[in-house]
Amino acid sequence: MIEFKGVSKHFGSTQVLHDINLKIGSGEVVVIIGPSGSGKSTLLRCINKLEVISGGQLYVDGFEVNDPKVEERLIRQEAGMVFQQFHLFPQMTALENVAFGPIRVRGAKKADAEQLARELLAKVGLAERAGHYPSELSGGQQQRVAIARALAVKPKLMLFDEPTSALDPELRHEVLGVMKDLAEEGMTMVIVTHEVDFARKVASRLIFIDKGRIAEDGDPAVLISKPPSPRLREFLQHVS
Amino acid sequence: MTFQWDAIWSALPVLLEGAKLTLWISILGLLGGVVIGLVAGFARAYGGFLSNRLALVFIELIRGTPIMVQVMFIYFALPLMVPVRIDPFGAAVVTIMINSGAYIAEITRGAVLSINRGFREAGLALGLSGRDTLRYVVAPLAFRRMIPALGNQWIVSIKDTSLFIVIGVAELTRQGQEVIAGNFRAMEIWTAVAVIYLIITLALSYSLRRIEGRLKIL
Repeated sequence: MIEFKGVSKHFGSTQVLHDINLKIGSGEVVVIIGPSGSGKSTLLRCINKLEVISGGQLYVDGFEVNDPKVEERLIRQEAGMVFQQFHLFPQMTALENVAFGPIRVRGAKKADAEQLARELLAKVGLAERAGHYPSELSGGQQQRVAIARALAVKPKLMLFDEPTSALDPELRHEVLGVMKDLAEEGMTMVIVTHEVDFARKVASRLIFIDKGRIAEDGDPAVLISKPPSPRLREFLQHVS
Repeated sequence: MTFQWDAIWSALPVLLEGAKLTLWISILGLLGGVVIGLVAGFARAYGGFLSNRLALVFIELIRGTPIMVQVMFIYFALPLMVPVRIDPFGAAVVTIMINSGAYIAEITRGAVLSINRGFREAGLALGLSGRDTLRYVVAPLAFRRMIPALGNQWIVSIKDTSLFIVIGVAELTRQGQEVIAGNFRAMEIWTAVAVIYLIITLALSYSLRRIEGRLKIL
């Protein structure tokens, strides 16, 4: 589904990703952890070309991401993204936010899109909030609407960029709950997060990134209970 | 000297003719100005190298020269350089278009750039094209932020039409001057002219406040 082959990424003269080799299959739930500035968000944003890679090859759903002949919006339609700061469209209600993708990206009819939006809002537990604007919703509710918005385009995989980092601790579980349901349905997910507990319970694979390189890649339960390197052990002590 | 109301009543039909022309110049000029401003502003904010530079040169050229020089250039100098005939009304409308266009371009650019990059990324991440993201996500948000500054520019441009007295277009200020040339009632006529401008600009401010109330800045 996703394959990185010797991918590097520079911002000006700073290299943020070094020789990334990574294969993620359909149905995997991959959690990426790592210190701030380690390049984990950049790695995620390369997948849907919000960042353009500087070297190597990257394939997503059969598309070569850095092939200029491949339109990036085709890749993005298959890779839904959820942002740390939600970025719901503030001039639209929750329902309009979720229906927006189907209408503008998939060319759905308004009635069909709204039907789908209602179903997705119900799925994230916000059926009764459909008519509310983002400013009238809590952070946790906004993030759940944002997940529904991304799902509405019917992507094949979902990318989460620190989805709970802007939320109060008691609001996090409602977002993590929705993500857990999604994982159980078999959605392919790549999640950048600091939620180690979520990684242990839900992820099928844990990747630890340090200084722009993949430092560890393996079973979450094993890596978390017996960190093989002092660097990971130290990191886990700091986040939990 | 006593204030003679009669002088105003008898001049009123002529002044209102002038006011009508002022309104037409303003409406047509500002419609064009908004179109030019949106195009140039988006070119500055998101355009490629060439369109960005073209817009920048246009903006600097127009902002950097007086509107009175611009209208005289278009009316007197341009026909000497290229084979066009332009009447005073046309010159006035074109001048307001390009002049307000340059300022509205900067208003547009400022508003567009003030929209959080995240909204644009959210649109792109859904799989929208860059153009559709601007159209459906960024533009509606930016437009709300433009309204106060746009209202300001519209009022400035309406008052700028009074400078077109120099090319003899029969707008409100010119009509006032002609009336005074015949009856010497400067006090009454300039008062009436000022009040008519004020009525136009206050009506505009009021409608803008109504629109602003409905389209909250988000």
